[in-house]
This record gives sequence, C-alpha cells and structure tokens, in this order.
Amino acid sequence: MSNMENEVRPVARAGMRDLGPPIVEIRNVEKRFGNVTVLKDVSLTVRTGEVVVIAGRSGSGKSTLLRCIDHLETIEGGSIHACGENMGYRQDSGGKRTLLGDRRTARQRRNMGMVFQSFNLFPHLNVLRNITLSPIRIMGEDRKTAEAHAHELLAKVGLPEKADAYPSQLSGGQQQRVAIARALAMRPQVMLFDEPTSALDPEMISEVLDVMIDLSRQGMTMIVVTHEMGFARAAADRVLMMADGMIVEEAPPEEFFTNPQSEHTKLFLSKIL
Amino acid sequence: MSWSWDHFMQFLFSPYMLNGVWTTIWLSIVAMLIGCSLGAMLAFMKMSKTWILRQIANTYIWIWRGTPLLVQMVIIYTVLPKAGIKLGVIESAIIALSLHEAAYFAEIVRSGITSVNKGQEDASLALGMTWPQRMRYVIVPQATRVIIPPLGNQFNLMIKTTSLASVISMEELFRRTQQMAQLEFKVLEAYMCAACWYLVMTTLWGLIQKRLEAHYDRPFGPAADTDERKKPDPVLSGQAAQV
Repeated sequence: MSNMENEVRPVARAGMRDLGPPIVEIRNVEKRFGNVTVLKDVSLTVRTGEVVVIAGRSGSGKSTLLRCIDHLETIEGGSIHACGENMGYRQDSGGKRTLLGDRRTARQRRNMGMVFQSFNLFPHLNVLRNITLSPIRIMGEDRKTAEAHAHELLAKVGLPEKADAYPSQLSGGQQQRVAIARALAMRPQVMLFDEPTSALDPEMISEVLDVMIDLSRQGMTMIVVTHEMGFARAAADRVLMMADGMIVEEAPPEEFFTNPQSEHTKLFLSKIL
Repeated sequence: MSWSWDHFMQFLFSPYMLNGVWTTIWLSIVAMLIGCSLGAMLAFMKMSKTWILRQIANTYIWIWRGTPLLVQMVIIYTVLPKAGIKLGVIESAIIALSLHEAAYFAEIVRSGITSVNKGQEDASLALGMTWPQRMRYVIVPQATRVIIPPLGNQFNLMIKTTSLASVISMEELFRRTQQMAQLEFKVLEAYMCAACWYLVMTTLWGLIQKRLEAHYDRPFGPAADTDERKKPDPVLSGQAAQV
C-alpha cells in the first residue's frame, strides 16, 4: 500500500485551499448496535471544500460514522447536520428527537453522494442508466440533460466509451469509477467515500484514487474513509484517526504522518507505511 | 380393450375437447394473474414492520398451504352458499385456484426480495430514493430474476392443477375428457388425448419460461451479451480468461 505514494501526483492541499463555512456538523454522536457502543461522543465539523480522511483499524467505527452522516444508520444520541439539514431527525424545543419519515430523509440524502466499498452498481441497468436513474426518476431532470451530464461525468472518470456496458462487464476499478460518476450525477454538495479502494486489486487502486484527487482539486467537499495514506498525503486537508468509536487524533497530513501524538496513530502508521 | 387410433385422433381435435383446452388455458392464466397479485401483496405484508399485517399474512399462508386445494374448492363451491355467499362454477374455480396460488407465490416473492444484495438497498438510499422508488427501480427488477424460475414452475403446476376444478363441474380439459371417455367407453384414448394436450401446454410454457429467464439474466453475465463479444475489449477478455 505504501507504494501508492509514488503513483499519486501531489496537489494543492492544507492551507492552500480556501475553505468555506461548515457544511457537515457532527455533535456528540452516540451509536450502538445492541449492547455494543460503536461511536462514543463523536464530534466533527467539516467545512465546504474541505477534504477529510478518516483512518483507523477495522471496527474503529469509521465506516459507521460515515454511514450515519447519510443517515444509513440511526443514532442513539447527538445530532448530525449536513447541507443545512438535521439528518434523519426532528428536534423539538425541548431537545426531544423524533425520527423523520422515509420521504423526508430521502430528500435530505439527495444533497450528498456516497461511494461504497463494494461499488453497489445496479447490475440490471447499463452504465448510462445507472448514472441517470436518480437524476431522471428522482430529481425529475429531463432525459437529454441527464444523459449529456452522464456522458460528461463518464469522460471525467475516464470511461467515455462504457456508457452501454453492464456492470458485470467492467473491472472493479471501472465499476468504482462509474459509482463515483453515479454519485456525482446528483450534483451533491458533499461526497462520502466508504473505503472506496478496499475491494480492488492493487493495480486498479490508483485509477480510482486519481479520480478522487481530481475531484478534490475541483473543490468538492469530501469525507473519505480509507487506508490509502498516499491519498491522504496528496489530497487531504485533515486526517482523523479513529479508535474504539472515538476520534483520537486530528491533524493536517504533514503533522499526522511526521509527528503523530496518539499511540493508536503511531501503531497504525507503523503497520501501514 | 384395443387401442383405436381413429378414436384418439377424433378426440384430439374434436371442438368439444379443444374448447376444454382453451378453458384450461384461460383459467390457468386468470388464476395465476390474480394469485400472483395477491401473493405479492401477502409477501409485502409478511415483510412489513406492522405486527398485525405480518400475522394476517402468516395465518393466511398457514391455512392455504396446509389444506388440500380439492377441499378448499369444494368448500368454496358447496359450503359458502349455505352461508349466503352464492358463487357460480367459474367464479368458485377462479377464486379457489388463485387464493391457493397466492399462498405459494407469497413465499416466492419474499425470498426473491430478500435475495437482493443489501448493498443495493444502501446505494438506492444514498441516491435519495423513497421506499416505493427503491422497490420499483432497484429491488423488484433484481428480485424478478430470482422469482421467474419458481414462478414458471408454479404456472406449470397451475396448468395441471386446474383439472381439480372438474370436481365442481368446471368444463375444462379434464372434465371434457371424462365425458368423452364415457361416451363410447374409449377410456384410454380419451385420457391419452388429455395427456397430450397437457403436455403441449406445459411444453409451450416451458419455452416461454426459458426465454423469460434468458431475458432477465442477460445483464448479469458478459458471456451472454453478444454485442460486446463482437468487439473484444482487453479488460473483458481478461475477465473472461479468469472465469
């Protein structure tokens, strides 16, 4: 994995990018699966245009945190505001939380794009229809606009000739790039990446990371759960370390890699670099 | 008893018999359509978060799968009228066959829906889809591929099961066969003729089912897509070699 650092091109990062107002605000979030607490009092603010990388061992809660932001998981305490919405809940003046209905939550999610470890392309639809399904059927875009946008996005992820292919005909790296295009077709304000390269063969990792680095250069707000520290170095404004459901370290990449404070980070870096 | 080709051929193409064949066909189709609609409804009730809906579906399936269709049919036709619900032969046959089918189809639909990868639900949620949108555009189309083979088998069974409606004097293929057989006591010829017609119907359906399955399988394998095979792609051929 460390050899990835040589393959990704350095880009403008920490300090050189103008960050906007906060767009994702996570406050004191608690998450339990049965008796197991997977997130303990997690707080995090991400600003518009910022690229945040979340690292940590498996089971540290990093993927769960990302899924909570898109309200793919409910939370037991705290709150998550994203793109001006209180994700998944309504809070009355007394602070009591009520779960929002399906339709309201669905609308909230349309502000964000999410990319999964296992791609999750729709196998019954070709690439073009994977990308245009949501814009046309859910957002009500007209077919022409949506398809033109889809072709534009396919060019952007380096797959202009794959519009008619089915997911089963694509390699893992190609599928993940289509998944990124599909998420971008919603014109999201924030992109969430849940271990986007963990299911890929080593030779396909860089083609996906390149697309993500391009995206970060264009000013997309990104929250990325990954083990790819090469990507963190190249594109992140901030790197977080999670352990046992808590954020144990938070620093610009330079500092994170050269002068880690937490024992968790030191151990993690010694294993991965 | 000697075999008579003359009688056999005469039975085979007699308008009386052909009429029975036609009745069997439309009875199967109508019962299947109603049964599948009801069954799909039951499947969603069974997967519902509401306790009472789940219990209604479970009880329905328990009763209709646990008793013979023959008994159900006779009860609907002969016992219900005593409770003031009078139904004709055709209505009774359709109702019994479709209510029976619904109980079986509910399980088929439920297992089809639950077979769809959890990641598909995540992806459709993340794309901002509501429950009906997720079902319509993502989950049901993929479940269909899993549902078609057992659905086909159910229809094959249905074609043959309609013969039970003869006990309530539904004029379908089997009842007409019985009547033909009694006419001149050419029992073997008449029943062989019925067997032939059932075989023709199930075989034709088998062909249709095969095409349906191929249609829904097409997106799932590169080998099945002939267009892509014409223009070889380095990545694709690499993948094919691995397989």
